[in-house]
Amino acid sequence: MGLTPLWSAAVPQPADWVPARWQWSDAKSLELLAGSPINCLLLKTYSADLEAGAAGRGLVTLAVLTPASDAVAEVRKALAAKLTGIVLEGDFPADVAAGVREAAGAAPVIEMTSRSRMKLGAGAPIVATYQGVWPGIALLESGHAKSGPTGSTWIDTNTGFIRAVRAWGDAQLWIGNQPPEHSVIASQRYLQVIADAAASGGRWVVTLDGDLAARLGKRDAGAMADWRRIGAMTAYFERHPEWRSMREFGQLAVVQDPAKGGLLSGGILDMLAVKHTPVRPVPRERLTPEALAGATMAVNVDADALTPEQKDVLRNFTRGGGMLLSGPPGWKDRSPEAGRITLDPAELERLNDIWRDVNSMVGHRDQGVRLFNVSSMLSNVLVSADGKTEVVHLVNYSDYPVENVTLHYLGDFKRATLMTPEGIEKPLEIYRTEEGWGVDIEKVQVCATIKLEQ
Amino acid sequence: MTRREWLAMISAAPLVRAAGSPDAPAAPVSIVKCASYDEDITAKLGVMFDQLGGLEKLVRNKTVTIKLNMTGAPSLRVQGLAPALTHYTHPKLAGATAYHLGRAGARRIRFVESPWATAGPLEEVMLDSGWNPRALLSAATGVEFENTNALGKSRSYARFRVPGSAYMYPAYDLNRAFDQTDVFVSMAKLKNHETCGVTLSLKNCFGNLPASIYGDDSGVDEPNENPTTGREAVGHRGRRQPSKSAPQELDFGVNLDPGYRVPRIVADLVAARPIHLAIIDGVESIAGGEGPWIRGVRVVKPGVLVAGLNPVCADAVAAAVMGYNPRAVRGAPPFKTCDNTLALAEGHAIGTTDLRRIEVRGATIEQALYRYDV
Repeated sequence: MGLTPLWSAAVPQPADWVPARWQWSDAKSLELLAGSPINCLLLKTYSADLEAGAAGRGLVTLAVLTPASDAVAEVRKALAAKLTGIVLEGDFPADVAAGVREAAGAAPVIEMTSRSRMKLGAGAPIVATYQGVWPGIALLESGHAKSGPTGSTWIDTNTGFIRAVRAWGDAQLWIGNQPPEHSVIASQRYLQVIADAAASGGRWVVTLDGDLAARLGKRDAGAMADWRRIGAMTAYFERHPEWRSMREFGQLAVVQDPAKGGLLSGGILDMLAVKHTPVRPVPRERLTPEALAGATMAVNVDADALTPEQKDVLRNFTRGGGMLLSGPPGWKDRSPEAGRITLDPAELERLNDIWRDVNSMVGHRDQGVRLFNVSSMLSNVLVSADGKTEVVHLVNYSDYPVENVTLHYLGDFKRATLMTPEGIEKPLEIYRTEEGWGVDIEKVQVCATIKLEQ
Repeated sequence: MTRREWLAMISAAPLVRAAGSPDAPAAPVSIVKCASYDEDITAKLGVMFDQLGGLEKLVRNKTVTIKLNMTGAPSLRVQGLAPALTHYTHPKLAGATAYHLGRAGARRIRFVESPWATAGPLEEVMLDSGWNPRALLSAATGVEFENTNALGKSRSYARFRVPGSAYMYPAYDLNRAFDQTDVFVSMAKLKNHETCGVTLSLKNCFGNLPASIYGDDSGVDEPNENPTTGREAVGHRGRRQPSKSAPQELDFGVNLDPGYRVPRIVADLVAARPIHLAIIDGVESIAGGEGPWIRGVRVVKPGVLVAGLNPVCADAVAAAVMGYNPRAVRGAPPFKTCDNTLALAEGHAIGTTDLRRIEVRGATIEQALYRYDV
C-alpha cells in the first residue's frame, strides 16, 4: 500500500482508520456517523455529494474494487472523484494488482485478499482479508451447543488467526467478512464480531446485513438503537489505542507456519483460546531466540517443517530450561485447501493429541492468569512493554450476560479496574488466593476488560 | 383427574418390588414454597429445619458433610443459564444451609462433590460454575471443601460395607470425607434422570464414587489419582470392574443394563453411607433429564424446597411433588426404563416410600405439585 500522505492533517493516519462498508451513496447518510468512531468508508458506489460530505467531515473514502471490474479504469474514476484510496477486495492476478498500484500513484491501495494471499511482514500499515468466520457459539444442527476437542463449548472465532497475523508485526489487520446470508442478525451478534476482532487487536470492517441497513436508512428507531450499540462497542476499543500496541502475554509459545495451518481458524490457537490459556504465537519464519524470550514452554506444531537453524533455536530453548512439545508423530500442518479458512474436521480431531499434552504441560503458575465461569467467553491477555500493566479482555458469545466471573492472577499488581463498553469503569476489590490474587466480576454483557496495574 | 384424586391414587398404590420392607422407617418431610432464589432462602430453610425438629441436636459439635449436586462439566449449560438455575444445586441454598448448621453448633462443615473429570480443587469447579466459594466460607466457621473424586487431602480411601445383602458391590471405597463425618447431608436437585427416572437425594449419592477408582480411566490395579473421565464404564455399563484395590462387582457381566445397575448401586451406596439429612432444591430446575447433555431437557420452576431426615421419605415426597408415584414399578413414569431406586432403598430398609406413612409438614404435596411430565 502506498503511504504518501495525500490527506490533510485532519484526516486520520491509516493505523487509525476505523472501517465500515458504507451502503448508502447520499451525503445525508453521513449523519449516521455523528458520534461514531467510524472514519473510513468503503464504497462500492459513490457520488460527488457523498465525497464532498465525507471530505468535509475528515473521513477517509476508499473505493472497493472486485476482480471482475476493469480495475485500472475504476481506480482512475475513484481518484477523479477525489476518493482517498482503493480497496482491492478479492484475489486479483498479480499483474492486475500491480497495475492498480501504479494507477493509484501515491493514493493508498489496501489489498483485502484471501488469508493465504495476505502479504504478512511486508511493511504495509494495513493488511486485510475478506475471509473471516462469523463468531459465536458453534451449534449443531439440533440447536445444541457443540463441543470441541477440549470438551468445552466450542466458539467460532477469528482470535487465533488475528493473533497469528499480529505476530508478524505492527500492521493493522482488517477482517472484512460479511454477515451470514439468510439469517436474522441480532445486534448482539454485531457486538460480538466487533469485540472478537478488537480484543485480539484486529478490526472488523463494519458491515450491516441488508435488513438492518434498510431500516437504518429509514431511521427506524430499533435500527438506530442497534447502530448506536455498534458504535459504542467500536468506540470502546478505539478509545484505548494503547491496547493495540501491547503484546500477547503468555509463557506458552506456539510455533506454526502461517502458510500452513497457522492462518486457519479452529486450529490450535483457537483451541487454546477456548481453554483460556494465554499463548504467544510465533511464526515459523520468525523463530528466533528473541521470539521465545520469556517463554517457558513451546509447542512446535509441525516439527518436520523447521530448518536446521530453527531446530537449533528450539534445541537451545530446551537447553535453557524451556519445555518443548512437538506435534504427534506423522502430524503435518497441512496447507489449507483453496477457499478453506477452518480446519478440516478430521484434523480437528487429531488436535486432541496435541491438546492433551499441552494441557498436562501447562501448570497453573505457568498461565499467569486464570479465569473461571467463562465457558461462553474468550479472553485475551495483553501486557505492556514495561510489564507493569496487563489487560484481560473478555468477550461473551452467549445470548445472556454472564454473572460471577472470577479472575486469578499472579504478579505484583496492586490495582484492578473493570472497564466495559457500557461505560463502567470502577476499581475491583483484590483478594488473596492460594497462588496469587483474585478479583470478581459481577456481570459481563458482551465485553469487559480488567486492567491490572502495579 | 384432580390433584386430590391423583394424590389419593398414588398414596394407595401398592409397592411392587423384589425386596420391599414393610418395616422401613418413616420420618417427617418438610415442604416450603419458594418461587425464586431471590427470596429469603435462609429464612425458609430455618422454617423447614424447625419443622423437622431443629438442627441442634443433630449437628452440635459435629462434623457435617454436605454432598452437593454439581453433575457434568460446569461449561455445559442449558440455554446458557448458570448451572445452579438448571441442574446444579444452588449456592444460595448451600450457603443458607451452612449458615444454619453453623448457628446450630456444627464444628466443621465440609462441602463435597466428585465433579466431572477432575481431581482438582472443588473451589475451582465452583468458580467455574459461577459460585463464590468465599461467600460459602463466610457463611459459617469451619467451612471446608473437598473434591471426592480422588484421595484429596487424605492418604487412603475409606471402605464402606453394604449392610445385609448388597445388590451390586459388597462395599465401596470412598474419599475419607465420607468417613470422617458425624452427619451426612445429601443436597440434591429436583429433576429427572435419564437412567434412574429421578435425581433426588438418593441418586445424588452416585456422585460419592471417586472417579479415581470407578471412573472410565481408573487404574486396573490401583486408583488413578488424576481422573479425566466419567463413571460410565464401571457403574452404568458394567464393562469393566473398578480398580482391583476396591471391592469388585458381585456378579460381574451378568447384567449390563444401566437401568438395572445404577439404581442398585445408589441403593447400596446409601445403605453403606447413610444420609442423615436430605435437602432437595426444586426452586428452579430442569425436567426431562439430569443435565444439558440430555436431549429435550427443559427449564422448569417448581418453586419448592423439600427436606427430611430420612432420604427415602424425602425422595418419595419429592417424587410425588413432581407428579410421580414414588412406588411406581419399572415401565411406569418416571421409571420407564429402569428400576425404582426409592423402592430398592426401601428394600435395604432405609426408609419407606409409602406416602400414607410419611408426615408432610409445611406445604402439602398437593399445594406444591408441579408435574414434570407434561
